[in-house]
Amino acid sequence: MKRTTLQNVTLYGTVTVVVALILFPVYWLLVTALSTSAELSSLPPIFWPENPRFETFSEVWAARPIPTWLLNSTLAAIGSVTLSMAISILAGYALSRFSVRGAHSMGIFILTAKMLPATLLVIPLFAIFRQVGLIGSLWSLVIAHSTLIIPFTTWMLKGYFDTIPRELEQAAMVDGCSPLGAMFRVVLPISTPGLAATALYAFVLSWADYAYARTFLVNAPDSWTANLGITTMRGEYTTDWNEVAAAAVFVAAPIMLIYIFLERYLVGGLTAGAEK
Amino acid sequence: MAHISIKDVHKNYGAVQVLKPFSLDVEDGEFLVLVGPSGCGKSTMLKILAGLEPASGGDIFIGDRNVTDLAPGDRDIAMVFQNYALYPHLTVAQNIGFGLKMRGMSAAEIDTRVQAAAKTLGVETYLERKPKDLSGGQRQRVALGRAIVREPQAFLMDEPLSNLDAKLRVHMRAEIGELHKRVGVTTVYVTHDQVEAMTMADRVVIMRGGEIQQIAAPDVLFQKPDNLFVAGFIGSPGMNMLRARAESGTVNLLGLKVPLSASVADGTELIVGLRPEHIKAGPGPVEFTIKPHLVESLGSEKYLYFDGHGQIYARAGDDEENSKGLIARVSHSGPIAEGEELTLSFDPADLYFFDAQSELAVRA
Repeated sequence: MKRTTLQNVTLYGTVTVVVALILFPVYWLLVTALSTSAELSSLPPIFWPENPRFETFSEVWAARPIPTWLLNSTLAAIGSVTLSMAISILAGYALSRFSVRGAHSMGIFILTAKMLPATLLVIPLFAIFRQVGLIGSLWSLVIAHSTLIIPFTTWMLKGYFDTIPRELEQAAMVDGCSPLGAMFRVVLPISTPGLAATALYAFVLSWADYAYARTFLVNAPDSWTANLGITTMRGEYTTDWNEVAAAAVFVAAPIMLIYIFLERYLVGGLTAGAEK
Repeated sequence: MAHISIKDVHKNYGAVQVLKPFSLDVEDGEFLVLVGPSGCGKSTMLKILAGLEPASGGDIFIGDRNVTDLAPGDRDIAMVFQNYALYPHLTVAQNIGFGLKMRGMSAAEIDTRVQAAAKTLGVETYLERKPKDLSGGQRQRVALGRAIVREPQAFLMDEPLSNLDAKLRVHMRAEIGELHKRVGVTTVYVTHDQVEAMTMADRVVIMRGGEIQQIAAPDVLFQKPDNLFVAGFIGSPGMNMLRARAESGTVNLLGLKVPLSASVADGTELIVGLRPEHIKAGPGPVEFTIKPHLVESLGSEKYLYFDGHGQIYARAGDDEENSKGLIARVSHSGPIAEGEELTLSFDPADLYFFDAQSELAVRA
């Protein structure tokens, strides 16, 4: 159906507004990072610095242990993704394929764990980690993040596995695979878009955490993650917001790059199952 | 190759029995078709035979081995699925060779057998393609290749042609029949299409409500149906069915006294069956006149729909055609107009009689 001019104007106008709203924080982050302190405190505010100051990036990189923070964030995120995916692949597959009594209730129960706020869970987790000596260790983040990630990724993967015809596994079993063999040899290889989308979701959730890192790692500077490290850049009396923003660009860039490169998998993975 | 013996296999889901005790012997090299309407239990039986679904009881023998508790991969069977079930991440060659790889065969031997199977089915030029790059017919051939390459004891086929268009279905039907003749492997084939069943099978098992209705060769099913369901299921268009009562060796049919070839007591309520193709245009042993309310021309023949003197017996859900009236399938009749008076005839020897209560065939 051909759209009228009015419909086109409305459509593109709405899309432009939505995109502007979404991109404004990114733009403001860049403006802040490229401005001088004087420009940042000027009124009315400036919307693009007269002489963008790229040196701030190299100064922050040299002055702060940003590589260490990024490495810690990466290690915590990779650990969380690995643990979460290992558990939620098996759980999601079981929920999708085996109709045992109580399976649905169990699935719902898993999802209710996602509804609990992190601030509620942080205290008991802190108590447990202190008892087992994990406070100050990145392992505390790996475990804590997994408790947040697994409920959602389990359901996400269950939804994806539901879209894969059972006949494929049945064919594999007739061909000589065990049920687990059919999953590993047939189901998982063809679930790559769903697995990629789920893993990226898990990675972002872990990467974006501040509350758990602040609680478990605050006294272990060598284990600080990027988000925790950036908050320590606030001074007692003054804060160099251009430096904070430059550091934030370093933290946000990896995720944005991953999204750009995996976009086609993500869209495929997230919309899978929307239609038969 | 091997014979298959199914003894008292049944399947319950809680209190619901979806497959009633089912016993059947499939001869070595036989092509046996399970046919019936949706939900009749034919696919469930096939899955139990394949080991993809556990039976609630009973035993299955393939050859001399009791395979009831064996995993699907240990039963030495191959299966072709309705939606082909080709592995989308593997090439055609890898798909065909998957089962051989699972059995630990050497790469060289796999390659030799895959090439041979591909040549048999005419897919040797697609071996490096992925399933998504193939047409429906090519996919079906690859699925067949995956089955034959293993040289199993039996083939199980679950409605393998139902996803193909009508023309290709006819072609593939002939190809499967030819393939069976060539390799001679015992085959159990499930379909809801009576034409497939009648044209491909050595014997047909008609099922309904989880129960076997009749096991016979296609011609026998057509000529001697054991009950009303089989009579109505086999034949297209379906058999005309009329209510009648036995009176002094005759039945009143369409206002005519017609001799009753079956031996039944006077007053017995009967359902009389008359196949549309047994009704002729023009004079014959029993003549009657009609004014068709609908004429469907298929070129070489015509379907005439006409009233049944209030005697039409239509089984709910089974014979929707009968609800439109009686049908005559006449050929070489020249032009026929709706509402135009016309003389038709049939031979009383072509009538089928069924007891109205038990629905079982009543024969002489």
